[in-house]
Amino acid sequence: MIQVENLQHTFLIGKRGKEKQVPVLKGVNFKVNKGEIVAIVGKSGSGKSTLLQVLAGFMKAEQGSIKVNGKETAQLNEAESAAFRLRQFGFIFQNFQLMPGLTAFENIELPLKLQGLRKAMRKEKVKKLMDKVGLTEVADHYPNELSGGQQQRVSIARALITNPPILLADEPTGSLDSETEQDILMLIQSLNRELGLTFVIITHDEEVATIAHRRFRMYDGELVKEEA
Amino acid sequence: MLFKDQLDFVTQHIKKNKLRVFMTILAATMGCAFLIVLASIGFGLQESLRNEILSNETVTKIQVYGDKQFTDDQVQEIKKIEHVETVLETISVNASAHSFIDDRDTTSTIVLTDMTDFEQVNGKLSEGTYPSKPNEIVVGYHFAQTLLNEADRNAIAEKSKKAEAEGTYYDGSEEGYKESLVGQTINLSLVPNTSTNEETEKMSYTIVGVMEKPSYDWMVDNTIHMDTAQKPALVENLSTLGEATGEELFYSEFNIFADTMENVKPILEKLKDGGYSVYSVTEQLDQMNVFFLVLKIGLIFVGTIAVLIASIGIFNTMTMAVTERTREIGVLKAIGASPKLIQRLFLMESTFIGFFGTLIAVIISYAISFAANAALPLILKAATGEEAFATNDITFSLIPWQLVVIAAAISVGVAMISGYRPARKATKIDVIQALRQEL
Ligand SMILES: Nc1ncnc2c1ncn2[C@@H]1O[C@H](COP(=O)(O)OP(=O)(O)OP(=O)(O)O)[C@@H](O)[C@H]1O
Ligand SMILES: [Mg+2]
Repeated sequence: MIQVENLQHTFLIGKRGKEKQVPVLKGVNFKVNKGEIVAIVGKSGSGKSTLLQVLAGFMKAEQGSIKVNGKETAQLNEAESAAFRLRQFGFIFQNFQLMPGLTAFENIELPLKLQGLRKAMRKEKVKKLMDKVGLTEVADHYPNELSGGQQQRVSIARALITNPPILLADEPTGSLDSETEQDILMLIQSLNRELGLTFVIITHDEEVATIAHRRFRMYDGELVKEEA
Repeated sequence: MLFKDQLDFVTQHIKKNKLRVFMTILAATMGCAFLIVLASIGFGLQESLRNEILSNETVTKIQVYGDKQFTDDQVQEIKKIEHVETVLETISVNASAHSFIDDRDTTSTIVLTDMTDFEQVNGKLSEGTYPSKPNEIVVGYHFAQTLLNEADRNAIAEKSKKAEAEGTYYDGSEEGYKESLVGQTINLSLVPNTSTNEETEKMSYTIVGVMEKPSYDWMVDNTIHMDTAQKPALVENLSTLGEATGEELFYSEFNIFADTMENVKPILEKLKDGGYSVYSVTEQLDQMNVFFLVLKIGLIFVGTIAVLIASIGIFNTMTMAVTERTREIGVLKAIGASPKLIQRLFLMESTFIGFFGTLIAVIISYAISFAANAALPLILKAATGEEAFATNDITFSLIPWQLVVIAAAISVGVAMISGYRPARKATKIDVIQALRQEL
């Protein structure tokens, strides 16, 4: 499903003319199979988020290859990359990243709007999914009228609404208390089992890592496989 | 994204920032309205002058300069030119006509033309027909009004005095001969302008037609028109006074008439090539149009500066909108919105501002234009005491649809251009940086 080979990325930091090169990804290799939950753990600052951002196409990697469903994505331009994301990826962020001006319902509907679906069809799809993730009651709430757990559910629903084969999550439970965290993890597990969705989850939380089928550790700019 | 959803997206953002967007639209409105109203003065003045020229003279008339008399051959030659309707010889008499009917009399000018040609050029009469027999004449519209007796003259003198005391003017329209003149016989004697007040013997003429009312309210037309065949009779009548041989008091003027206004130009060119010195009001119109074209371009240019100033507001508003929504734009991009779509959404917003600004500006401009046209004559009249301004044949401000189109194109175009950079900026927003921003 996802195949990453020799992915490298270096940041330039510091003042102009006195930049320092900080190599963050020094040749990452890993593979994700269809229907797997993969966890990527590692120290803070080790480059986990950077890896995910390159994977998602938020920024271009300096070197290396990323194949998603057999398609090489590392060299796509911005517009191509956006179109690819819209079809292939769903994103779950640590701080939810909901649109403050839109209700829960409208937030979930947004990717369908981007895809150009008609209103009647959107409505039906969103309703169904909200039912599934248990959000029906709060459909008309704005993000600031939702609890953290509810916000993350909305965010997950938004990631799922377009039926992407792959979900990328950066610290999905990082802003939640442990009880809510359990809820969300169970939701992810059930989505994985029932729909066969593939998850790549970045976390520093051992609890989260327990639901993963496989686990990688980010270490010294490389990804090392760990026993589950 | 469906167009309807794009529109929803834009209107939602506008609703969220109602006041800011309203103020920006207001600025755009003021700029555009200024442009339209300013340029409308150019259009209005041109229209006034055009009407003035066109109503003053017959548009299809080509005047011939100088008192060079045409020979019959020349007249025939000119008549053969394509689209020439007729060559009208107008003979003026350097003498006034003193006409009598019952106890009333009036003094007027007298002109002689070929009545068939004259009919062709002059067209409809307000009453009666053109002469077909000798001793038949057509008189001006005010001929009856100017036929006065002693009682009328006293009445007019009195009314004029009263009007003068009030600072106005009395035109004598209530007095005069009240019945129809058609079929009436008048006695007419001539008074040469060259001599003392000697009058010739009276001749008898029958009025068969009355001319149309002249195009200007202030014009009083009591001219007597008769056929050129009457010239020998008039010459003989005048020669009884002895001092001048009658012939010297007559002079001819030739006017060439085209069938339509469009055909004046080619005829004019042909005549000029043929060595005639000719002139038509259409030439004056052409020169005037060039002048006004330059004036209008100048006014639109000045008005555009106001639109440009308003565009600074649009630029600021859009830049703020983009900055404020950096995180939202980041999210949109992250979930797969193309840079093109984001650019379009912001361009639509600035276009919306430009479009509504223009729409309101057009409505306001028409209102201002209407009010100015209604109020300015009254103000001018009050300021100058001049009655002429009160008549509403002066257009100060005119907004033709072309001006609306030009102004709309300028102001919507400027709005789009000033929204372009902020929209580009939106597409360049870095997803990662944007998502890092706190709520
Ligand atoms: N835009 C940037 N410019 C320069 N350096 C960056 C940039 N983003 C990240 N870095 C550097 O890259 C390294 C990896 O950052 P990254 O955010 O990937 O870490 P992480 O593993 O996600 O850490 P955490 O667990 O704390 O989120 C850090 O040392 C950071 O300083
Ligand atoms: Mg991170």
